[in-house]
Amino acid sequence: MLGGFAVGKTSLVRQFVESIYSDKYHTTVGVKIDKKLVQANGQEVNLLLWDIQGEDGVQKLRTSYLRGAAGYLLVIDGTRRSTLDTACAIQQSAQELLGLVPFIVVINKTDLVDEWDLDESAVAGLVQSGWTVYRTSAKTGQDVEEAFLTLAEKMTEA
Amino acid sequence: MLTQRRKGAKESRTKLKSNPSSPDVIEQDGLNELRRLLVGPEQQEIEVLRERLDQQESLLPEDISRVLPEAVTLRTRRDKKVTEALLPTVEEAIDISVRKNPQTLIDALFPVMGPAIRKAIAEALSGMTQAMNKSLEHSLSPQGLKWRVEAWRTGRSFAEVVMLHTLLYRVEQVFLIHKETGLLLQHVVAGDASVQDADMVSGMLTAIQDFVHDSFSVEEGGALDTLQVGGLSVWIERGPRAVLAAVIRGNAPQELRAFLQQTLEQIHAEFARELENFEGDAAPFEPSREDLEACLQSQYEQGSKEKTKKRVTPVRVVAALLLVIVLVLGFFYVRSRWRWGNYLTRLQSEPGIVITNAERRWFGYSIAGLRDPMAADPQALLGEASLDPAKVESHWEPYHSLTPRFVLQRAQALLNPPPTVTFRVENNTLYATGSANHQWITETRRLVRVIPGLDRFDESSLVDTNLQAALNVKSRIEHRVVRFVLDTTGLAPGQGSELEALNADIRELKRLAPAAGKSIRVEVIGHTDQLGSEETNLPLSRERAEVVRARLAALLGDEVELTASGAGAASPVREERSEEDKEANRSVTVRVTLTDS
Ligand SMILES: Nc1nc2c(ncn2[C@@H]2O[C@H](COP(=O)(O)OP(=O)(O)OP(=O)(O)O)[C@@H](O)[C@H]2O)c(=O)[nH]1
Ligand SMILES: [Mg+2]
Repeated sequence: MLGGFAVGKTSLVRQFVESIYSDKYHTTVGVKIDKKLVQANGQEVNLLLWDIQGEDGVQKLRTSYLRGAAGYLLVIDGTRRSTLDTACAIQQSAQELLGLVPFIVVINKTDLVDEWDLDESAVAGLVQSGWTVYRTSAKTGQDVEEAFLTLAEKMTEA
Repeated sequence: MLTQRRKGAKESRTKLKSNPSSPDVIEQDGLNELRRLLVGPEQQEIEVLRERLDQQESLLPEDISRVLPEAVTLRTRRDKKVTEALLPTVEEAIDISVRKNPQTLIDALFPVMGPAIRKAIAEALSGMTQAMNKSLEHSLSPQGLKWRVEAWRTGRSFAEVVMLHTLLYRVEQVFLIHKETGLLLQHVVAGDASVQDADMVSGMLTAIQDFVHDSFSVEEGGALDTLQVGGLSVWIERGPRAVLAAVIRGNAPQELRAFLQQTLEQIHAEFARELENFEGDAAPFEPSREDLEACLQSQYEQGSKEKTKKRVTPVRVVAALLLVIVLVLGFFYVRSRWRWGNYLTRLQSEPGIVITNAERRWFGYSIAGLRDPMAADPQALLGEASLDPAKVESHWEPYHSLTPRFVLQRAQALLNPPPTVTFRVENNTLYATGSANHQWITETRRLVRVIPGLDRFDESSLVDTNLQAALNVKSRIEHRVVRFVLDTTGLAPGQGSELEALNADIRELKRLAPAAGKSIRVEVIGHTDQLGSEETNLPLSRERAEVVRARLAALLGDEVELTASGAGAASPVREERSEEDKEANRSVTVRVTLTDS
């Protein structure tokens, strides 16, 4: 799980693994590991999810946590324009490190319609360049499972 | 008896048969007649017996049934022949019986098997502890007594306490981890050791190694090779493609490390191809179980009883020794208690640390609580309190302290204010002083809400630099005056440059406004001096405004919305006292409105 801080990485993992959501914010320190068994392309896949602390002013991305990843979710907070740029920067470093492994862009917090603040033209550009983009809400659970499963499928195809 | 009877019968038969072949037939007949008269009934009897023997060549079932039980008993007493003879038959019989109706046998065996199995399990489980219990049950050595007290104090069984103290080490779990991905390849556990999800532990171990490697400047090739958690340690051996991690209780000898290393090398050799081509399927590593199981070694201290036995010395010596021991222990006890107390007081006064539980144990301490990541490190404070970190089991949960100092630090880190801004935290409010750009200010307004310990943002002393710049230009525009010739809509000489200046200013403002989140509206207002009547002045001022509006529109294009209006003499540029003032009032000014976009 990659992305800026407080974009909802931990919340997405909790929603996906335990179907729980909480409004409380506890920033992740270091990395938290979870797992879930899913079906993808007709086979069982054991997803080991590394929820890495978000990038903020002080903490830059720890690239060593990326080593060996088979794929990743890039999480963007739809109510904060700047998290899109953060995500693009992370994608750059991830690609340099891992090469072309599958990833999925997740624009989170779709339930916060009133506070929506996203450069839709930039998003359209990403989609055009071939990125898979999901719009999710860790709060309502919208499309969370789909995003993870699509990644699992992409990884098993690769 | 039987055989005798049979022999007799045979003899008489031969005699009877040989006689009819003799030459003297008449004499023979007479003799026969005589024989018939004399022994006729016996002869018939013999005939019957003979037939019986001939036909059956054996005994009647009644005969055998009469003697069988005794016969078996007699023979069994002598040797095992009967058992051997019956064995195949009995086996086959059981086999058939089970196939036909197993319930019969189950019913028969159940009362015997249940207890037998239970007993076997219980014995296997308690085997070693039982033995220790027995051997130490009656030993009244000082150590035995001490352990007994400990058992009573901690509520553990005596055997468990003995085991804990005599346990030198035990390898409880071994993980084989793929180095590149951190995925688990194989995992073995010793007997009854408690186990977490091995996949996740494997991931965590890898993350911890990465963390240590990144966080502390280790020299080339150096890496984390031991983790210490309470009484457990994790030994980590690294190979080029796989990592071996052993969870060990107690103190293992260095030889074990060498053994782990060898095992890892062996696995690298055996599974070279599988390791290289690993894609997430751990099945090919199943055969490595054996290698890993060989690492599940353990060793218990032995002969602690013998040692005490050897010390069978005069009672006085023992008593003196005991006294010395008690005094020394007492001294250490009091001293460490005092240090522990100091440590706790120190921690309690430290902001961002909350102690939830502190305990004194027999051989150390345990402390648990909450700690803000920005608070002082309790582990480092241990050293200051002269306590041995190995004897203190610490468990700190991270939490966010709401102490203003930490809230402030957190805000500083997360909001990344420009150097022109200073923060202050009071009553859950973040006060910002200084100046910053508009984007940072709007971003901060939103972010303050997600920072623990803050719920309001006070920006009354904060200057928005983008807005300030726009306001400066706005004021410049509003101070410009385009003058006209008395009573006409003709520009006074030299006013072309003023129009140019207005054009430049408005363009600049147009450029600056969006950064401050504003859009602009421009109003051109015409004025006249106070000579003449309102009826002539009002239209004149309107026309003058229109002239300037048109000129500006030509310069600016349709990017800027311009409106024109006349104020007559009602809102003069200056108070009219001199001719100079009058000239200034025969003019047009511009008003700019900034609205939120
Ligand atoms: N309304 C809404 N809030 C969300 C959603 N997802 C996350 N949040 C909230 O956003 C805040 C941050 O969520 P986290 O999941 O902790 O964010 P994170 O990306 O793990 O943050 P770091 O660990 O600090 O990098 C929390 O208060 C969540 O409740 C969402 O889909 N909708
Ligand atoms: Mg998190």
